[in-house]
Parts: sequence; structure tokens; C-alpha cells
Amino acid sequence: MRSVENALQLEIPLNAQYIRNLIMAAHGTHDHIVHFYHLAALDWVDIVSALKADPKKASQLAESLSDWDQNSYKHLKDVQDKLKTFVSSGQLGIYANGYWGHPAMKLPPEVNLIAAAHYLQALHYQRRINMVVSILGSKTPNIQNLAVGGVANPINPDNQSALNMERLYYIKTLIDEVQGFVRKAMLVDVAAVAAFYADWTGHGKGVTNYLSAPDMPMDTKGTTFALPGGYIENADLSTFKPIKSFNDDFFKNGVKESIKHSWYKGDWNKHPWDESTDPNHTEMQYDGKYSWVKAPTFNGKPAQVGPLANVLCMYAAGHAGTKKYVTEMLNTISAVAKTKVGPSALHSTIGRIGARAVRCAVMLDECTNQWNALVANIGKGDVKTFNAPKFPSGEIKGFGFHEAPRGILSHWSVIDGGKMKNYQCVVPSTWNAAPRNGSDQPGPYEASLVGTPLADPNKPLEVLRTVHSFDPCLACAIHMVDSKGKGIVTVKAL
Amino acid sequence: MLEEYTVTILGLGNILLTDEGVGVHTVNEFQKRYVVPDYVEIVDGGAAGLDLIPFIEGREKVLMVDAVNFDKDPGFIGLLENEDIPVRITEKASMHHLGLLDVLSIVKLSGNYPKELCLIGIQPKSLELGLDMTPEICDKKEALIERVATKLREWNIPCALRSPQK
Repeated sequence: MRSVENALQLEIPLNAQYIRNLIMAAHGTHDHIVHFYHLAALDWVDIVSALKADPKKASQLAESLSDWDQNSYKHLKDVQDKLKTFVSSGQLGIYANGYWGHPAMKLPPEVNLIAAAHYLQALHYQRRINMVVSILGSKTPNIQNLAVGGVANPINPDNQSALNMERLYYIKTLIDEVQGFVRKAMLVDVAAVAAFYADWTGHGKGVTNYLSAPDMPMDTKGTTFALPGGYIENADLSTFKPIKSFNDDFFKNGVKESIKHSWYKGDWNKHPWDESTDPNHTEMQYDGKYSWVKAPTFNGKPAQVGPLANVLCMYAAGHAGTKKYVTEMLNTISAVAKTKVGPSALHSTIGRIGARAVRCAVMLDECTNQWNALVANIGKGDVKTFNAPKFPSGEIKGFGFHEAPRGILSHWSVIDGGKMKNYQCVVPSTWNAAPRNGSDQPGPYEASLVGTPLADPNKPLEVLRTVHSFDPCLACAIHMVDSKGKGIVTVKAL
Repeated sequence: MLEEYTVTILGLGNILLTDEGVGVHTVNEFQKRYVVPDYVEIVDGGAAGLDLIPFIEGREKVLMVDAVNFDKDPGFIGLLENEDIPVRITEKASMHHLGLLDVLSIVKLSGNYPKELCLIGIQPKSLELGLDMTPEICDKKEALIERVATKLREWNIPCALRSPQK
């Protein structure tokens, strides 16, 4: 959408920007909650161990860390009883594949019980915040309201079937409802896991060039953003260089993709506008072509993308909310670990998980900010949500970026006479899962796994922890789970 | 509204992958042909993962239709009920099995498991990219729709063919 709008140099009505922003912020919050509790937590939390916990002690511990109102003895005892029933039924379902009892599991039973309780609570809250996405976007995750030039949401405060004040205040209720959980349960849980696994701040660093997009445009042209983004080289925050607008040359000229090690015809390193995608599957060639993923680079170097890159860039740019939540989290980790943990710990597997929780809180605050901006603008009498596009007869090119939950997403279009001539997406998991690039430098996954300690090489839980910390886009590749499992073991052997 | 439904008929699968979408095609066709009581919700569940929870959690009865690997010839139709479901579906059951198993396990853990759960499964022939199902599986569509109606009647849920429409 943004790449086509960029090609047309089309301005977007303010309401449309705010509605899109609100959807992005709510979706980001939802996605990060689900990633931590329902996808990544079981790499660190041993649910069976929670059966041995003393719910009284667990409640005391939880209440010493946060005033979240669902940490009482009664709440935790109730969850433990449910767990007992569930485990004794002998039907663990997906949980049967968990690494429980693995020697690398280190949380005390009480912390496991608290995490299990919040795991169940998270199911409720992720659904509530996702309702914001479905109310505005008609459907989730594949929203239906986007159009080149704006959004298809009619705003009319006097009409029951349009976006009116009743809907807007319902959205506000949903946003407010999730605040307590994210701030008082999730941020604290992630900090506690990080503290008990403090050794993991030394693993999984990988590529420390960080790339992130500014997002939440606050004007019609996309020149001011609520959330900053840019590029940091070699883990040095002082090198931060911002990406400033939807027309930014630094970003536009910096992106290239190599297919030297990817299953496409040829061997080139091209700008997305000039690329092709012609599949050429070979057998596994460890020194040749070995991946469906292309290898993107930024000014010739691999870059890590995702919440960690985003948080580091926002931190370097001085974004107040990010600084607040990073400091808060590092303080909680330091208190639980009883040792001072500083920002350098973020360049790690556990840092990626911590940064995702920070970004979750930032996204949720942004829901409120964007809601306020939208309601204030409607209050001025502006109800416009769409500018109709007009396509010229010749060739035009455009690019658009978005800071998605898994990192910077960019789309590149070449349009000829109103028809798409070339369309390339450089997506977050491509940056992170990239094979070696044209200069044989490894991508973030590969680099981050080098030196990972394994307590039991036949059960490479530690490898999963690092790969999961990137939040890989798995939904599109579920059928590859088996072959990926084998691939992980091979990487270890190298 | 959502709260009033006590029974779900859930079609699962990805319609972009030929026979993988058989569950969705079946319930859509069932909905066209049959009238069911107001408390029955018919859902195209796609491969929606966690988003399926509200359609399963707390419901009295849930009837699912999906492509399942029974290690039989394509077109084989099998019926799994209640406790048999998580035990019998192995890892390679279906492309989106993680989503379905995730959902069922999570609903079970949170303690709001449906009283009755039934999965009508069919052995797919192809999971290749494509909008059309293979002829072998298409031929079984009538049988699948009949199975759905039969199961509902077993549960004492009335379902009647719609009057013919223009």
C-alpha cells in the first residue's frame, strides 16, 4: 500500500493515518503478547515443575514484584489445580513436545507457576487487544480496510453503521483493559525470566547491525513519525542514523538482496526494484545454494531486524517511553538477579525477548496516543479517510516501509501504465533468516547460533531458544517444521 | 452475539492448498443447504490458530471437519471423538495441525473444554498449491455433508434441508 502511494506521491488523510496506526499498534501489542507467552515462554518455563510449587510462596514472590491484581494465593492455587487435572489426564497435546525436565530449565517451581498463570491470563488479553484490529480492520489478521489512498472506514458520529463514538469508546475500553496486564504482568515476567537466565545475556548476539523503520506517521505526507527508526552499526548506539521520511534516500538506496546462496536462478546482488524471483531449487549445497530465503544487506552489510533493533533505535533517538520501559526492565532484572544489569545485556537472546516486552508496552501506549489523535481530529470536524489515486501512463517506482512486529518490512513496486511490472517484498524474517550474502557474511540466525552451549546435543533446546527469540514467521512454513529441526542440528555440527 | 451460541460447526484448512481446504468447503456447502437452530454457529476456521479459541471454549458441542492423515487411501473418511482426538492425531496429521492441537490443548488446560467434540476427517490426496480439490476428494463431498448432518441429529440438533431457491 505504502509503496504504491509512494510511487504516486499520494498524501493520506490524517484520519486514515491514525486508523492505520491504531491497527498497527494494537496488532503489535497482540502479537508480542502471543509470542512471549504462547510461543517462546515454554522454552524457558517448565509447566510440569509448577505442580511442585507452593502457591503461597509463589503469590508472595509475585506480589513483591508487582501489584498486578491476579497474583493472589487463590488465583495461583486455582491454576495449579487446573494444571494437575490437565497433566493427570495424560493428554498433554502440544505440551507433550515441551522440553520439561531438561537440564537447561532453571526457573524455581514458584516462578514457573506464576508464568503458567499469566500464560492463561494472556489468552484473554491478547484476544481483547486483537478486537481493536478486527473492529477497525473488519477481520484479523488479514485486515480488509486498507486502500491505496487511505482506509475504507467511513467516519460518521451520527451513524450507527459507520465508525462512530460508540465504536471509538469501545476501542478505548479494550485498550485500557490490557494496560494492567502488559505493565504489571508481562514486563515483570520477562524481567524475571531474564534474571534467572542471566547467563543468556551472553549468548545469541549474532549480527549487531540493527535496522528499524520509523512508524506511526503523524502527517499526511509521512515526514513526522511518533516512533523513530534508523540504523545502528556494530552495537554502537552513537552510530545511530535516523530514517526520516517515506522518501528517505538513506533507506531507499541502502537495501540490496543477494541470491548467491539462495534457490533462485543466477548469482547477483541487486536493488529490489531490479530484482527477479525465478526459483531454481537444487539439493542442499552447504557451500552453494541452500535456502529459499534471499540475503538482504543494508549498505553492503547484514542487519538484524525486529523489536530489539526497534527498541535500540528508539532508545538511541531518545524516545521517552522506550527509555522509561528499558530502564524499568533493567532495574527489575537487576533486583531479581541481585546484580547490576545494564543496556549492553540487550545484545543477546534474552535481550531480544526483553526488547519485545518493552516494545509491547510502547505499542500499547501508542494505541492510546493514536486514539487521542484520531478523536481530536474528528472533533475538529474532519471525517475524511480517503484520497482517490490516479495512475499516470508512464513507468513509476515506489517503496514503502513499516515497522512490523518482526521488524522492518519494505515493499518495492515498479508500475507501468497503472499495472504492476515488478513487485518485491523484503520482509523481516528474510533479514534475520538470511543465508550467507554475496560476501559470504552470515545472517542473524546463523551468526547468533555460533557458540551456543548445549546441555544435551540430542535435545537442542538452547538452539530453539535463540531461534524463537527472533520470532520467526512460522505460520507460512509449518510444513517445514521437521526439515527445519534437522537443519538446526546440522548448523550445530559446523 | 457470540455468547448465545452453544454449538460450533468448524471447517478447518487452507483453501489455497487443494484438498487441505476440504473442511472449509464442506461446512460452506452444508450452510448453503441446511437450516440449523440459532444456537448453532457455522464457522470457516481456515488456519486461524489461537483465534479459534472463542469458537471452541465453553461451547457444549463442537463438530470439526478437516483433512486428516489416517494412513489410508485418499478419500477415506474417519470420525474421531472426544478423548480420541489429541491421542490419535499424530504430528503429521495436517498442515495446520499445530494450530488445531495448540488450540485444543490450551482450551483443555484453561478448563473450558467442550462436553462433546467430534472431528470428521478425510484422507487428502493432494496438498499442492491450487484452489480446486482433487476429483477423488470432490467425490466425497456429499458423504462428508451427510456425515455432518448425521452427527448433528445424533446430538439431537435438528437440521433440515432449505427450501429450493431460485
